[in-house]
Amino acid sequence: MRLLQVDSVTKRFGGLVAVDAVSFDVVEGSIKALIGPNGAGKSTLFNVLTAYERPDEGTTLFDGQDLSGIGPHRIVRLGVARTFQNTQLFEEMSALENVLVGRHPLTRTGMLSAALRLPGTVAEERASREEAERLLRLVGLEDHADALAADLPHGLRRALEIARALATGPRLLLLDEPAAGLNTAETSALAEVLYRIRDMGVTLVVVEHDMGLVMEISDEIVVLNEGRKIAEGPPRLIQKDPAVIEAYLGEPEYE
Amino acid sequence: MELSELLQFAVAGLKNGSVYALVALGFTIVFASTGVINFAQGEFYMLGGMLSVFALQALGFPLVLAVVAGVLATTAIGVVFELLAIRPRKDGDPLALIIITVGGSILLQSLTRHALGPDELPFPAFTPGPSILVAGAAIERQTLWMWALTAAAVVALTVLYRRTAFGKAMRACAIDRDGARLMGVDTRMMVTASFGLAAMLGALAGIATTPLTQTAFNVGARVGLKGFAAAILGGLGNPVGAVIGGLLLGLIESLSVAFLSSTYKDVIALVVLLLVLFVRPQGILGRREREKV
Amino acid sequence: MRRPAVRLMSYGIPVLLVMVAPLLVEDRFVLKVLTFVGINALVVVGLALLFGYAGQVSLGHAGFVGLGAYTSAYATVRLGWPWLGGMAAAALVASLGGLLLALPSLRLRGHYLAMATLGFGEIMFIAFVEAESLTGGVDGFTGIQFASVAGFDFRTPAQNYWLVWGVTLLAAAVAYNIVRLRPGRAMRALHGSELGARACGVDIVRLKVQVFVLSAALAGLAGALYAHLVGFISPSIFTLHFSVILLAMTVLGGTNSIAGPVVAASLLTLLPYVDAVLPGVPESVASFLSDWETDIYGLAIIVVMLFAPGGVAGLLRRAGVRRTRVEKGREAA
Repeated sequence: MRLLQVDSVTKRFGGLVAVDAVSFDVVEGSIKALIGPNGAGKSTLFNVLTAYERPDEGTTLFDGQDLSGIGPHRIVRLGVARTFQNTQLFEEMSALENVLVGRHPLTRTGMLSAALRLPGTVAEERASREEAERLLRLVGLEDHADALAADLPHGLRRALEIARALATGPRLLLLDEPAAGLNTAETSALAEVLYRIRDMGVTLVVVEHDMGLVMEISDEIVVLNEGRKIAEGPPRLIQKDPAVIEAYLGEPEYE
Repeated sequence: MELSELLQFAVAGLKNGSVYALVALGFTIVFASTGVINFAQGEFYMLGGMLSVFALQALGFPLVLAVVAGVLATTAIGVVFELLAIRPRKDGDPLALIIITVGGSILLQSLTRHALGPDELPFPAFTPGPSILVAGAAIERQTLWMWALTAAAVVALTVLYRRTAFGKAMRACAIDRDGARLMGVDTRMMVTASFGLAAMLGALAGIATTPLTQTAFNVGARVGLKGFAAAILGGLGNPVGAVIGGLLLGLIESLSVAFLSSTYKDVIALVVLLLVLFVRPQGILGRREREKV
Repeated sequence: MRRPAVRLMSYGIPVLLVMVAPLLVEDRFVLKVLTFVGINALVVVGLALLFGYAGQVSLGHAGFVGLGAYTSAYATVRLGWPWLGGMAAAALVASLGGLLLALPSLRLRGHYLAMATLGFGEIMFIAFVEAESLTGGVDGFTGIQFASVAGFDFRTPAQNYWLVWGVTLLAAAVAYNIVRLRPGRAMRALHGSELGARACGVDIVRLKVQVFVLSAALAGLAGALYAHLVGFISPSIFTLHFSVILLAMTVLGGTNSIAGPVVAASLLTLLPYVDAVLPGVPESVASFLSDWETDIYGLAIIVVMLFAPGGVAGLLRRAGVRRTRVEKGREAA
């Protein structure tokens, strides 16, 4: 079943065409990678998919629903979550609290019910805490639950952002360069986490530079260059695609 | 309404407008280089008047020297304020910097009250003599001085920005601070210079107006707010907008007194401020800010 | 477990002290000053939520205080409403004012909001002065009756003290609840990273509006309480200066804390009266502090924002004196 359908999405900035009529589908339950040399338009496309930018042309359908005009905070309630290249954690809050914020779209306590501490509110809070603790365990952060986000080392910060995104209960999770800045061991741990997420039934779309990770975990890869899609397919085919190889020629080797 | 009456209102509007223009320039210059709204800008206006009066009365300076001394002293205060209160937090949250300038504003006001007293103080007109009649409208000589000084300031700024390396560095800073830094511009110095320039312009407006309105320790807040409204009207960050906004605001104020009522004169600027913020926050000449993800 | 007991003590004892103060303090003047402290504290509870948690700056809250004061005064004196009606009207009108201001302003970036609130505060001040038929203009509004519920009048300083502090402590308790649960987390998330908050499904604008309206309502209530306490209000109270002072108290008290700003507001309000409150302090000290009050505020704001932007509460957090929010939160579950 095609969970995400990207149809001829185009985005321009002034005279520059950042994304040029890109189309692809993402099958539910799979892991799809989005790769390409620098400036290929991956980030822009990513921002369009996550509703931080509006496409100039084309549509994005999530589970058959058109995502145009839906703001980032509403897209989360539909079941689409994302992480950021520069992690946007709540620095002065603990890891647990960060994940608890992720529970926001699934919970209902408003100002009034919180003010009066209604019984439903207390029960909801307890349930949220349990879920948040479970997600911290999933990404390996259970020992850091009370640590401030600002105090966490880089690798764990990314894990925290993933846990927080998962707390929103998404069907589709889009990750923006999750392996950036991670060493080999941390990248392996990341791959493990991504498999666990997929096994939970969450569909993954990953923008990434780390070719090793991409080749290992992806079911399918979409390759962009200069705003256009130049190849799409399973890893072993992409590896041998001449257009892909040419696009990357002259690019420095990525670990 | 007779033409001479209308002209009289227009003169008053352009007179106030030139004050707003200078104060607005101060806001805009600081905003362009730091992204901060300097709440203390109105106090620079106040200090220009108060310190010139002090130089004249207490120190016995001749008039021209008193004016120069007042403006320069205020410029120095602007620079010191930036060095002590802004620079340490320069790369911080802009909201924190705004709060710092709020604190600076009340501190400057209150220190001035302690040092120079709570009373209204006068200053003689730069050139004594009767008002000049133009088409039935009386224009005070001091008003001509105000226009002349404003025009001179605008010309000087234009030359500074377009012809000098320093001015170009400031413009580069305003457009893209990191890019400017890469090109070797000392951005920290630019920020300090912006504050100094803003203080100078505010002080100039302050002392130019004082012969007509007197000065006191608390005149800064109201004028500051109106100058800010003018800056927003013209487009915050755009110097041309600041001048246009200032003159336009002065005229709008004056004409509403002419045709509506004088009771709510001070509200006009505030209403303009809120209207612009709500309807078109980038003002007349500004561009919409885009958020980067 | 020890923790609930410790928590009970660290909040319970100050609350107890506050409530028994009229039994310990005999000086009517001091009691009145302490009542004014409660009024400032009430406004500051709202500002603590708005600024300390949600990170929004308001430079016009004196306008809401005045709006509440004049509304209650008008309702009770001119329309003959009962005191409770006046209170409700004050909160309602202030909330409406907050809503009207917040809706267009909160789409704007942070610094624009600060200036919009400033403009609003000034407009309110001018309105209080010029709308003479409603407000009595510069001469003020006189003849405001004491608070009164079901025939019982709050006449003595002690009765008014309990009334005001009762409301303030209730507001603080409500704020505390909000803060420890979902809305409070959303506010802190908003303050931490707007992008991140949005990515968690937080409706930023709606949240900002809600907090703003709540803080306006509390300010309005405080204004109404003041009006009935003193019996007379005039525009000269509801000035930009007052707005700045309120913000200063909140900033100094610290972010992510309700108690911090309340304590800061209390101590700072008492500063000019220190000779009346503390025996043995000469009057010269009090008048010095009163005369230099504004300078102290200005300098304190600058110093705190430069060196300890989290305020006093932030410093205490860092020193580990306060227990972590997570621990407090665990008690909530």
